[in-house]
Amino acid sequence: MTSTKTKGHHRAKEGCLGSVINRALTSNSQWPDKDEFLDVIYWGRQVLGVALGLVWGFIPLKGFIGLFLFCLINAALVYFYASSFQGVDEEEFGGMWELTKEGFVTSFAGFLVMWIILYSGLHYD
Amino acid sequence: MWADTLFIVFISVCTALFGEGLTWLLVYRTEKYQKLKTEVERQCKKLEKKKEAHGDSVDRQQKKKIEREEERLKNSNRDLSLVKMKSMFAIGFAFTALLSMFNSIFDGRVVAKLPFLPISWLQGLSHRNLMGDDYTDCSFIFLYILCTMSIRQNIQKLLGFAPSRAANKHSTNLFGPQPQQMGAFK
Repeated sequence: MTSTKTKGHHRAKEGCLGSVINRALTSNSQWPDKDEFLDVIYWGRQVLGVALGLVWGFIPLKGFIGLFLFCLINAALVYFYASSFQGVDEEEFGGMWELTKEGFVTSFAGFLVMWIILYSGLHYD
Repeated sequence: MWADTLFIVFISVCTALFGEGLTWLLVYRTEKYQKLKTEVERQCKKLEKKKEAHGDSVDRQQKKKIEREEERLKNSNRDLSLVKMKSMFAIGFAFTALLSMFNSIFDGRVVAKLPFLPISWLQGLSHRNLMGDDYTDCSFIFLYILCTMSIRQNIQKLLGFAPSRAANKHSTNLFGPQPQQMGAFK
């Protein structure tokens, strides 16, 4: 009995992840659980940070402009995703500032690591 | 430079997993911790609901109730921190020993080139124990700390060990910042 229950539990968990990803990609979806939406913002930001680090390292972009552009793109994308694409009410999440800072430092660190590694590997080896 | 940088990423993934594994062994799986954690989460949610319902009401009785809830939450948070504290010392000690070992392996070695010039107070870290004055040279400790900041937090979130946002908001931790922010500088 318990194994079917845990299997059901796993399927529920996978189903919930699948539905979160689905809702994250469709505009104006419903987010009854606030934490779910914040998790989408958090993980989306981590992917964005690594991706931008790869691109900056590959070009290569150098100096303060690289840092500035990362912060600009990161904050702008989160703002447009939350307010235009998903159309959520920011007040529900504690204001735009809460959304803007959700996972920012971690994604900035991931971005720096990726940028430094690509830059050193491709242009200094 | 590929070898050094990728090796440092590998080290920080392993130390993050080792740290979380040890914390799970010593703290997270204990009944006391789990009971306290659910207690804190429940109280947080209850407090937030109460604040939303009667947050700005002038009724003294409601205010008293909210204050009592906050007091209870503070105590549970303190107990939670105490339970975590003993394992944090053990892990902190293990990490410091590990870190000094790697520090000596990479002593004086440029592991990467920075595509930007760090600001002055960061140069003490990014150029630690390196010869010359080219401040785009990157030392082991700087890259290791950046790796730990991004990898450890993500691993904690993936494994579900990071405290929920509600708990984070109300946390009156004994040591100020949450353990995982402190962990970034271990």
